[in-house]
Amino acid sequence: MVPYDSDGLAGSAPSSSSSITKPPQIDGLLAGAGYKVPSSELRHVAQRLERLETAMLNSASHQLSLLASDAVLYNPSDLSTWVDSLLSELNQSQPLPSLPSDLSDLVPNSTALDSSWGMEHSLSQQQNQNISQHQQNQLMVVTALEEDSAIRLVHMLMTCAESVQRGELALAASLIENMQGLLTRVNTGCGIGKVAGYFINALSRRIFAPAGSISGVGSCYTYENELLYHHYYEACPYLKFAHFTANQAILEAFEGHDCVHVVDFNLMHGLQWPALIQALALRPGGPPLLRLTGIGPPSSDGRDSLREIGLRLADLARSVNVRFAFRGVAAARLEDVKPWMLQVNPKEAVAVNSIMQLHKLLASDPTRNPAIDIVLNWIRNLNLKIMTAVEQEADHNQSGFLDRFTEALYYYSTMFDSLEACAHHPEKVLAEMYIQREICNVVSCEGSARVERHEPLAKWRTRLTGAGFRPLHLGSNAFKQASMLLTLFSSEGYSVEENEGCLTLGWHSRPLIAASAWQAVPDVEPALGVIDNNGVVL
Amino acid sequence: MMQFTETPPPPLHQITAPFSNPNMNKNQTQRTRPWPGFPTSKALGSFGDANCMEQLLVHCANAIESNDATLAQQILWVLNNIAPPDGDSNQRLTCAFLRALIARAAKSGTCKLLAAMANAHCTLAIDTHKFSVIELAGFVDLTPWHRFGFTAANAAILEAIEGYSSVHIVDLSMTHCMQIPTLIDAIANRFEVTPLIKLTVAGATEDIPPMLDLSYEELGSKLINFARSRNVIMEFRVVPSSYTDGFSSLIEHLRVQNMVYAESGEALVINCQMLLHYIPEETLFGVITSTNSSNPYSFESSSCSSMSSLRTMFLKSLRSLDPTIVVLVDEDVDLTSNNLVCRLRSAFNYLWIPYDTVDTFLPRGSKQRQWYEADICWKIENVIAHEGLQRVERLEPKNRWVQRMRNANFRSISFCEDAVSEVKTMLGEHAAGWGLKKEEEDLVLTWKGHNVVFATAWMPA
Repeated sequence: MVPYDSDGLAGSAPSSSSSITKPPQIDGLLAGAGYKVPSSELRHVAQRLERLETAMLNSASHQLSLLASDAVLYNPSDLSTWVDSLLSELNQSQPLPSLPSDLSDLVPNSTALDSSWGMEHSLSQQQNQNISQHQQNQLMVVTALEEDSAIRLVHMLMTCAESVQRGELALAASLIENMQGLLTRVNTGCGIGKVAGYFINALSRRIFAPAGSISGVGSCYTYENELLYHHYYEACPYLKFAHFTANQAILEAFEGHDCVHVVDFNLMHGLQWPALIQALALRPGGPPLLRLTGIGPPSSDGRDSLREIGLRLADLARSVNVRFAFRGVAAARLEDVKPWMLQVNPKEAVAVNSIMQLHKLLASDPTRNPAIDIVLNWIRNLNLKIMTAVEQEADHNQSGFLDRFTEALYYYSTMFDSLEACAHHPEKVLAEMYIQREICNVVSCEGSARVERHEPLAKWRTRLTGAGFRPLHLGSNAFKQASMLLTLFSSEGYSVEENEGCLTLGWHSRPLIAASAWQAVPDVEPALGVIDNNGVVL
Repeated sequence: MMQFTETPPPPLHQITAPFSNPNMNKNQTQRTRPWPGFPTSKALGSFGDANCMEQLLVHCANAIESNDATLAQQILWVLNNIAPPDGDSNQRLTCAFLRALIARAAKSGTCKLLAAMANAHCTLAIDTHKFSVIELAGFVDLTPWHRFGFTAANAAILEAIEGYSSVHIVDLSMTHCMQIPTLIDAIANRFEVTPLIKLTVAGATEDIPPMLDLSYEELGSKLINFARSRNVIMEFRVVPSSYTDGFSSLIEHLRVQNMVYAESGEALVINCQMLLHYIPEETLFGVITSTNSSNPYSFESSSCSSMSSLRTMFLKSLRSLDPTIVVLVDEDVDLTSNNLVCRLRSAFNYLWIPYDTVDTFLPRGSKQRQWYEADICWKIENVIAHEGLQRVERLEPKNRWVQRMRNANFRSISFCEDAVSEVKTMLGEHAAGWGLKKEEEDLVLTWKGHNVVFATAWMPA
């Protein structure tokens, strides 16, 4: 090693005599520590060290420990090469992007993103010259790259949605192409990459499908729907929360009644009911006579899935000595159900249980009375003891497409985040498919095909109180149960909150699902308004 | 994942209707669990409530052990609703087990125990009361649970120490010498010339209820004063020693005493009242049995067999002290299984007894009832929620202890007629459900015919 003289200048490589070119000036401070870094490269090395830090923070722990044990600086005179080698080691397990020639547009000071950036490839070419050759030949840290791409994706999604709203489909289509390109640079296995993928997919369907051709997604295959629903139930706590909160309210409402009737607006596999049957079996004073009416779509493959589920529930009830009767009502849509089909007995206490069904009635057909009003009206006129309603806590029914889209993007990103925190289940993939179908419906469908018309609790409150219902507070028992069961079995990050007598379950203070309970306000002589043929107050 | 449902009969569609892709459907059915399984076995509903609750607890335990969060949640929800902490005795029993299961689940999960317990509708830390001497004396007298062992032991001890001028009593009990005043009384009444009494105890069991609010030094001086008031001279000594190592310091101390007083004709009485079951036994793996020379058990051959345990060695060392009499009283139940469900069943089928009896001697809402039930809760939680060294409640049934004592070269002594009649008289002061059984040489306290506590007496074979 060539000794440094006092003013920090070093000779060149020991063996050869530096004849022609002036040796690079070595930074004096670093030189004192034995690091031979030319001043001109200082900025470069500093950036590298920053990236290394980011990469270390983002890398998997096993990588980090390798780094810690293997990272020995053998040749302190060549700090920049050492940092680069560490960076490339960290990058090895990540999928390396191919280096497009316009990588140079990722200028280090690119914090402020322009929404029109996607259009400005040409501008960035000029910035090429500012980047040294050295930099371009190095492998970039994937995480920094990813972050940038992810942010760009989100902005592009918004731009695309806006174009769709304005009817500029050609523009929207080209944005789709760009986004699909960007998708290759991000990790689509998790995080924003995954969610963006679904939204891009949904947007494509909307843009590229012939008008009116998209029917409600997945409506044809009941078996498939039930399967996805079941996996969604297993993989994350939302449906479980819905079930035991609703069950708690129903159990409490049925106290003292000997004949009870539960109307389930969406039976699926009847997952909600074994627990209630068991709890009723052992309640003080003995179980009531329990009738369950399960509503569900007609089976497409010749099976009678409603009846099958009914038989299983009957078996369970028999084994715990609960007198039980089941009735299945097959209806393609909830508005096709008429109250006489439920055969409610005037002596029984009725509980109507709606898990994420009411919003499907919000598609308004201008030629008819709103389905929601019709249904709410006949619900009121059953012997209603309690109606439990669980709904997605989101405003996905706004009239403006961009608003809906934005809301959905944030809502489903949060939901996917929460899913990622859940323990790995084989069910997760299918659960995600379930959610993906919702996304598709919200984004790519319109009119009567768009059934996922989620509205937030505040709107449901207005709607339901306007329709002659009053809220039943869910009570501290329900809250304690929900909190206890969730803290025991779900990852940290989920939170149960109480909202004026209703309970919400959310991820990190963003409520995602809301459970509420309602009673019918007894009829007064109608002093206001005109009643039409369907009994709806106009 | 473990499935607890019986497979339901094949659904109709597989028999009647054709469908396009039979293979696909079959595979998918197998991949999805058919049902988050509530037990559909017919047996569940045909017994009474208690059995049903036991079944639910068992299924819950299984669900927790197999990490089946869905099923565990559902059963916990049901149990929370059917077992309020202020219900009837079955409900309170179930509630205590439920709390213990929640505590166990909370330990294995990623959640915060405090948050989970705070949200459950029973309050968290079992508030174990610190008794004053008067309180504890009154408390212990409320029920035959401990009095039975005391009465039988005292009678046997009196017989055994006849003729000795000096008696060394080693009191290994859970109730902080509550037996001793009655014993002293009995000695004072029986003998014209009362022997010198040396009382040795193994130091306070700090962590196990019932807990005392004063130190053993203070307790000792109270006992000495009481003895003096009965004209009995008594010495009191505390040897700090713990069940965790099989009371090795106590054994060491006694050995030394033996050597010093070997010639003086002193009676050695070892009185074990429900304390020995805390000494680790064979099911607790990883018990270190050191072979260094300072080990009081070093008289053992250096190759300790794998079936040995601190419990076995303790009894052997007792034998080596050549005691005049050993009284062994404990609860008649097997809680040593390493299998959670077995333990749960055994515990449930035994601990219903204290919940059942409490109605006969303590009114609802009374403080004493709270303390009493808190102590039972503590036990249940220890058995269900803990493992390894922390699980200290390692009770064994009578026949197992009898075998152990025989293996340690003791032979059993029958309780005399006096002892039996004393116990019967004592039982007469309590509710009608209590009874007494003689099983060969041993006495067993029963409640409604079920074995509760056994009392046995031994001398060197």
